[in-house]
Amino acid sequence: MKLGRKRKNMGGIPTASMSDVAFLLLIFFLTTTKFDIKKGLGLVLPPASQQSESTKKVKIDDKNITKIQISNEGLVMVNKEQIPIAELESMIRKIVKSNADMVISLKSDRMSAYENMVIVLDKLQAAGAEKISLSTN
Amino acid sequence: MAKIQKKTKASTEIPNASMSDIAFLLLIFFMVSTVFVKEKGLDVVLPKAMEIEKIPRSHSATIYVDRSNTISIDDLAVEIPQIYGIMLKKKELDFNLIACFRTDKKTTYGYMADIMKQLRDADVLRVSFEAKLGS
Repeated sequence: MKLGRKRKNMGGIPTASMSDVAFLLLIFFLTTTKFDIKKGLGLVLPPASQQSESTKKVKIDDKNITKIQISNEGLVMVNKEQIPIAELESMIRKIVKSNADMVISLKSDRMSAYENMVIVLDKLQAAGAEKISLSTN
Repeated sequence: MAKIQKKTKASTEIPNASMSDIAFLLLIFFMVSTVFVKEKGLDVVLPKAMEIEKIPRSHSATIYVDRSNTISIDDLAVEIPQIYGIMLKKKELDFNLIACFRTDKKTTYGYMADIMKQLRDADVLRVSFEAKLGS
């Protein structure tokens, strides 16, 4: 009589390839991950006119307003005086330092490029201006 | 009698027993931090700025505006008058909503002013203009 040799069945999950699987997944996530951090210039808009009817309107003295205008071609004017963009930051810094209540009114031409507004807004924030209002011509 | 010292053989192999631990640790990090982009948006060239700050992702609603003045919110092309209704709904869901503009630098400002008017009407007053770091 022929006796069959009994094979011992090992009851375990093979874990030798575990690190291979881990590395494979790791490489997948490493290559697909995109750290999508949003960065930008923050601003708070004034409430709409219907809403502000209930609230008290505050009148600002003319001496507490600095008017900045951006023309169609991207030229910048501060209180109707044209200045180069490179000098804007230092100029606004001086104005804000001399008067803490100063409101900067940024008026941009409707046909002006959006980029011009962002550049000026960036300079204003760099100069420490906190009260900025946006409007259009 | 001289004492014979037992020679200790220094191992020259790098221990790799903890290799899978490291791999799993990194794997978990990337799995947790990965954010799959939900919206495709529009193809825009962002303007550059220096004073940029982080925008909290959880409260932001992105408004795409490309150079041909196409507006997209949640991957849907919208017209200016529709923005009021969309943003009003979003504001109801999240009181601290920030409207995040992802606008092409060549877009005309008048168009942006019209969008901002809609935002003001919808009482979404916190806005952010996305920009790339640079001057």
